Amino acid sequence: MPTLLRLLVQEEEFTPFSINTGLIFWTLVVFGILLALLWRLGWPAILKAVEDRERRIQQQLEEAERARAESARLLEEHRSMIATAKAESQEMITKARGVAEKERQTLLAQAREQYEDLLARAKKEIDTQKQQAILELRREAVDLSIAAASKLVEANLDSDANRKLVMEYLASLEQRR
Amino acid sequence: MIQAPDIGKVIFEHTSDSHVVELPFGLGEWHLPTGWHLFGVDVSPTKHVVFMVVAAVLVFLTVWYAGRQVERRHREGKAPHGFGGAVEAVVLFVRNDVAIANIGHGGEKFAPYILTLFFFILYCNLLGLLPWGATPTGNLAVTGALALTAFVTIEVSGFRALGPKGYLKTIVFVPPGMTGLGAVAMALIMTPIEIIGKIVKPFALTLRLFANMTAGHFVILALLGLIFIFANWAVAVGSVAFVTFMMLLELLVAFLQAYIFALLTSVFIGMMQHAH
Repeated sequence: MPTLLRLLVQEEEFTPFSINTGLIFWTLVVFGILLALLWRLGWPAILKAVEDRERRIQQQLEEAERARAESARLLEEHRSMIATAKAESQEMITKARGVAEKERQTLLAQAREQYEDLLARAKKEIDTQKQQAILELRREAVDLSIAAASKLVEANLDSDANRKLVMEYLASLEQRR
Repeated sequence: MIQAPDIGKVIFEHTSDSHVVELPFGLGEWHLPTGWHLFGVDVSPTKHVVFMVVAAVLVFLTVWYAGRQVERRHREGKAPHGFGGAVEAVVLFVRNDVAIANIGHGGEKFAPYILTLFFFILYCNLLGLLPWGATPTGNLAVTGALALTAFVTIEVSGFRALGPKGYLKTIVFVPPGMTGLGAVAMALIMTPIEIIGKIVKPFALTLRLFANMTAGHFVILALLGLIFIFANWAVAVGSVAFVTFMMLLELLVAFLQAYIFALLTSVFIGMMQHAH
């Protein structure tokens, strides 16, 4: 201990344990100047850049979060839109199918009606034609009969009287049928 | 056996301050002027003053150059890179994980001081590892002065944060709930303890840095001294191997002690800010 004290107290001779008052002064001066210079010229440059970057990264993170939420919202919206569209199209198809079915039914009915109409008309036509043909045939038959009879008898028989006879006969035929 | 040199004297001469700066590459010695006085105190420059100035200049150049680089790359919207990026990483570590983490809210205000402390001590430590170098931080006056700045910062920041009444409580401490005679007795007992507590902090900072830097150099020089005492090749090989290892350890210690000084100063400032 006395050695250490001697070392500490020694003024002129330098030892590792001596405290030089002048050096305290120098340390304060050098450190003070360095601190003042760096405070003004050194640290602000680095720290400002760092803080700026921190702020920017924070901002970008927030923006990314916002964009993510926005895109999720849009996706949800699109999904619901697609679902609505699907339902709508389904409904439209169903409706169209119904309309087409009804149309088909009406068309069919119409066609049937027309066909029946045509058929009836044709039947009526055929009937009339048949009646006419029968009448004509009858007249022809009378003429033929008269011609045949006149050829056969070759007499001066009154042709009106003969016609009457034949007509009566034919009428009796008609009645018999 | 040849006459062994006085290794102890060599070690002391090497680690202590002097008015002579040894110059590298055979340039001889630089005898500093003596007899400067200021208010009756001898303020002649010494070897440690010279190396402190060198360290301060290097710190300033480092930070200034890195700052310019970082600022330029930031302006151009590029990511940090190279030398600026490296310094920025250290600055960020000291600012966020040393200063702000330990001082707490408002730690940014102290960041420039803690950063300067860290870089200055680190450069002083590293200069001591260079051949022909000297370690200003291996001098009690230097570490004491640095601890003095820490002491003033701690107390002034505490006074400003707590106000006169709150600050007084950190000196005259009365446990809550105590009144009358008990309070007076406690105050009488606790006040010296509180004052000692305030002084012990910078004192510990002073001694820790000084002892760590000096001890490492002692070990290295003692190991190298063995070569001259034994004058033996085998000892020389072993010695050099150990010295290489010690040098690497010293490199670690240089960073570690700068970190610890900055860290403890931050912790003390934080303790004061949130006292009681």
